[in-house]
Amino acid sequence: MADSNKEISEYVTLVSNDDFEFEVLRSAACISGTMRKAFDPASGFKETTQNRMKFENINGVILEKVCEYLYYNQKWADAKNVPDMEIPPELCLELLMTADFLNC
Amino acid sequence: MIAGRGKQRIRPPRRGLASSAVDFDSIWSLLETAFRQIHTSNASQLLYEELYRHAYQVVLKKKGEELYSSVSRFEHEWLSEDVRSEIYAHYSPQMLPHTQALTTSTATERRMAGEKFLKGLKEAWSHHQVCMSMIADVCIYMDRTYCNDNRLPSIYTTAMNLFRDDILQSPITTNDNRPVLHLLNQVILDQIQMERDGDVIDKHLIKSCVYMLESLSESGDESKADRLYNVSFEVDYLETSRAFYSREADAVLRDTDAGTYCKHAGRRIYEEEDRCRSTLAESTMPKIQQVVEDELVRNKIVEVVDMDSGVWFMLDNDRFEELSLLYNLNARVDDRKSVVTRAVQQRIVALGDDINKAALAASQSAPAAPGDAAEKSKPSAQTNQQTAAAIKWVEDVLALKDKFDMVWKESFQQDNMMQTAMTRSFADFINSTNFPRTSEYISLFIDENMKKGIKGKTEAEIDTVLDKAIILLRYVQDKDLFERYYKKHLCRRLLMNKSISNEVEKQMISKMKIELGNNFTTKLEAMFKDMTISEELTASFKKHVEGLGDKDPRRIELGINVLTSMTWPLETMGSMDEGEGKQSAVFPVAVDRIKQGFEKFYNLKHSGRQLKWLANMGSADIKAVFPKVAQKDGSFKERRHELNVSTYAMIILILFNDVPTDQHLTFEEIHARTNIPKADLIRNLQSLAVAPKTRILIKEPMTKDVKPTDKFFFNEGFNGKFVKIKVGVVSSGNKVESDRERRETEKKNDNSRAFCVEAAIVRIMKQRKELAHSQLVMETLSQVAAQFKPEVSMIKKRIDSLIEREYLERIEGAKVDSYRYLA
Repeated sequence: MADSNKEISEYVTLVSNDDFEFEVLRSAACISGTMRKAFDPASGFKETTQNRMKFENINGVILEKVCEYLYYNQKWADAKNVPDMEIPPELCLELLMTADFLNC
Repeated sequence: MIAGRGKQRIRPPRRGLASSAVDFDSIWSLLETAFRQIHTSNASQLLYEELYRHAYQVVLKKKGEELYSSVSRFEHEWLSEDVRSEIYAHYSPQMLPHTQALTTSTATERRMAGEKFLKGLKEAWSHHQVCMSMIADVCIYMDRTYCNDNRLPSIYTTAMNLFRDDILQSPITTNDNRPVLHLLNQVILDQIQMERDGDVIDKHLIKSCVYMLESLSESGDESKADRLYNVSFEVDYLETSRAFYSREADAVLRDTDAGTYCKHAGRRIYEEEDRCRSTLAESTMPKIQQVVEDELVRNKIVEVVDMDSGVWFMLDNDRFEELSLLYNLNARVDDRKSVVTRAVQQRIVALGDDINKAALAASQSAPAAPGDAAEKSKPSAQTNQQTAAAIKWVEDVLALKDKFDMVWKESFQQDNMMQTAMTRSFADFINSTNFPRTSEYISLFIDENMKKGIKGKTEAEIDTVLDKAIILLRYVQDKDLFERYYKKHLCRRLLMNKSISNEVEKQMISKMKIELGNNFTTKLEAMFKDMTISEELTASFKKHVEGLGDKDPRRIELGINVLTSMTWPLETMGSMDEGEGKQSAVFPVAVDRIKQGFEKFYNLKHSGRQLKWLANMGSADIKAVFPKVAQKDGSFKERRHELNVSTYAMIILILFNDVPTDQHLTFEEIHARTNIPKADLIRNLQSLAVAPKTRILIKEPMTKDVKPTDKFFFNEGFNGKFVKIKVGVVSSGNKVESDRERRETEKKNDNSRAFCVEAAIVRIMKQRKELAHSQLVMETLSQVAAQFKPEVSMIKKRIDSLIEREYLERIEGAKVDSYRYLA
């Protein structure tokens, strides 16, 4: 992805602390309050200009689950009787803390 | 165990994501550096994730309070040191109006300086907003948890309030005590003043400063009431505007006329509206309008309306546009437009009074002219003048009405209230007690039109004339008086065949019926019915006489009008006067025979009816032969004339049939032999012997007055230009009444009113049985209102009279005066 893409790109890149990269839809990423602020075109942080955000405290496994959740959330946003998302119990606690961090 | 989806947050345990030990000071120094970079627009190399993570950890470690106060302190220091000095750089003493005297700055320089200051302030503000939103984004976790839990305003709000305290409300420099806010207000006001004076200013700049003031509030909570804009700027703005417009109103009033003033005021109001939209806040619009309206309109409207060039001038000169402006201004401050309405009303009454006075003057100037020459022509001239005055009056009033209708349409947006007021004013002067002749004049106007005016006019034109009369009639209060006059005039028209078209007469009556109701016209319609019946009667009598078979070539033809005595205003024709009418005139034998013949015939048809002959109202066609006598012009032959004379004149002339040419009859003799009432006799003799064109008799001595000892001869030498000669009887036309006559009419009218009032009282009491005095008066007034407006004293008198005659009695011991109906 280009470094200085001033256009509002459709996709953004999320990077875990073990350097896994996830390309997700901007609209899905912005479900997270933290990411929304980071990618907000009105503010002038580096994330905004690069459309890339690195998480120093989230590993690839968790970040993958987060991306899954973001799409899951987007897909079922207005639906009822939604099937539960599959969460491996061992990730539970970590996911919880990440959710608080990401505000989603 | 699903995290996410919902908003509920489950705190993670104190391990894992964050390293367990957090050193606040080192993290803060990192954040502070970053913030400083943000403030100096150097944020593009900062990683949001990193800053957020640090702030997140600090808050997570229960250090929220420390972070919050650190950020606040940082912002406070930043604003009061860096930003304030920056603002001061934009400040120059030139930009304030009151320092202008000291420096030599021109208005343009002042405007530029002001704009520079505004621009600096605006930029500082918007920059502060941008930076703070970034910092707030970094500290969002603190806002979410710490501020929420402790009910503190978000860091963004706090920083905005800091801007208010550290910039706006602190002095511009240490040795200048005026707060920045004060300067800001002054500059904006000054700029607005420049715009009022015609300069072009940067509206967007001011608008953004206004936005700033709008988004900050005095106390920090976000209620609208104490936004800085409202508590600080708006107050100043309204105050200075008030002072300005108050001064301006005086100046403009002094220098220009009312029309210009109205235009000016209208423009100012519009400008202020526009200014609120483009430069200031819309919420100020009603307030500033109030101020402008107060100063330019409410406080001045009376003055403007009463100016020399005010409403009167505009009305008189047809300044519809200015009137409309003035009306709109008045409407702004007063729903009822009372000031303009009052002026218009006064003008109507004043103009109306002028018309009244002119009519009175015109009608009185004639009798004032003395002179005994041409006795015959003088009264007729006077009649004409009076009638002319009446017609002029009606036409003037109609013209006035047309004019004000026009004004009403053009300038007053057909305002209902205005129309009512105008109608009331018209009614006021038309029914003015100084001018009692309205009813008579209107009736005369109709009379004149019926007799002459409508000749050669199309139906539509006639219609408008009639409608005009109806319009005036609408204003008349004393409809019964009008009815009396109209009946009298109609009676003359019908009996003397003066009316041009019966159709039009009927049209008029149907119009009155629509306007005034059935009651009003029944009698008038009955008069028409009598006329038709009489025609049939005459025809059938003629047939009857022919059927008798005696072909008498000298038979007299009889045309007859049988009038119902109740419906016809016969007393006003002078027939019942002085009790003399009872002894009817002695008719010549030939006439008397046919009279008896008709009575017999009539009695056959309608038994039990009594016929009373009204000779004073009839006329006769007689053929007269004047013998061969030498004429002045030398001709010498017999002349035949057909004379159309009144019935009395016919009787008199027939008397002379039996008198030899050289013999004479004295007045006394004629009176004794004819039994014609003296007054009528005198009039008829005057027209036969005095009027120059119809001098069929010769009077001795030849004077105008007829004295009992005067002698009358038959004028053998009479010579007329035409075969048919009409001998008019003095004072036969419809004319304005003399004062004496009018008093009589009024007296009669009062009598008939008395009956009306009594009837109304009895009707009411019959229904109510018992009623308090004041209520009775009210109801009586409303019952008779359609016909006339009685005096309260009259109603009282009638009540007393009814009590006397035991229709009513007073209720003893009642709290208020009350009456009971006695069946």
